[in-house]
Amino acid sequence: MAKSLLVVDDSATMRKIITRTIRKADLSVEDEILEAGDGSEALEKLEGNSVDIVLCDINMPGMDGRTFVKEARQIPSNANTKIIMISTESADEVIDGVKADGANGYVTKPFTPETIQKELAPFME
Amino acid sequence: MIGQETFADALLDGAKEVFETMMFMTVEPCDEAGHVIGGSALLGSITFTGDIEGCLTVCCSYDCAKTIAVNMLGAEDEELSEDEVVDAVGEVANMLLGSLKSRIAETAGEIQVSIPSVVSGTELVNSLGEGAAEISQVVNIDEETARFTLLYRDAKV
Repeated sequence: MAKSLLVVDDSATMRKIITRTIRKADLSVEDEILEAGDGSEALEKLEGNSVDIVLCDINMPGMDGRTFVKEARQIPSNANTKIIMISTESADEVIDGVKADGANGYVTKPFTPETIQKELAPFME
Repeated sequence: MIGQETFADALLDGAKEVFETMMFMTVEPCDEAGHVIGGSALLGSITFTGDIEGCLTVCCSYDCAKTIAVNMLGAEDEELSEDEVVDAVGEVANMLLGSLKSRIAETAGEIQVSIPSVVSGTELVNSLGEGAAEISQVVNIDEETARFTLLYRDAKV
């Protein structure tokens, strides 16, 4: 069954790159990939839609990615939603911290299509 | 203060990684210190704070920015909006600082970064005032020319 995805990044260009990368990868995703420009908008999208996987930037104006993960994990209906962070931050403390907050995976920018595919693959079954 | 040579090497290596991974473009250093990007240009800028503070900028002509955006998005020239071209330059600055940060983490300590911003104009330069160290690297990106500049100073000063 195709998975529903939400891409969260303040950069429309980066959202487009991530969406294009997912489309090119051999992954079973729904035709419409939802998008949000910050954490608050992402929470609204989660409330109104059934989302299997969220790919989320960390450093964003408005609600940042770390706050988004914490807030999303407070909402029981998001318990099964997988959240993968995509950020230029590569420090272990940041990666460990955001995973402790509830993120399921982490991709560092710059990324190759293979990196995205590899990170998403375990959640596509 | 961390040696300029360390930062210069890290900046160039980081740029090569970003452009080769995300845009499939090659970056080669160009020996033109002080080179100013002529004509209408875009300047992507991102600031950072921590043990050291400063900003990193990417300056290139609009045509160069368009080429970067085309490669980044896998799009055709005519499909791109001006906003996407501008946004692409900001993302390059963002990723470039991320790559630099990971390379200098052990010596520079923890750094917090801002959201990137982009301005357009002619003869664009950036400044951090007196007491700042400057590393400027002019590069050839495929057929285009761009300038990466890192301005930084010890935050305790």
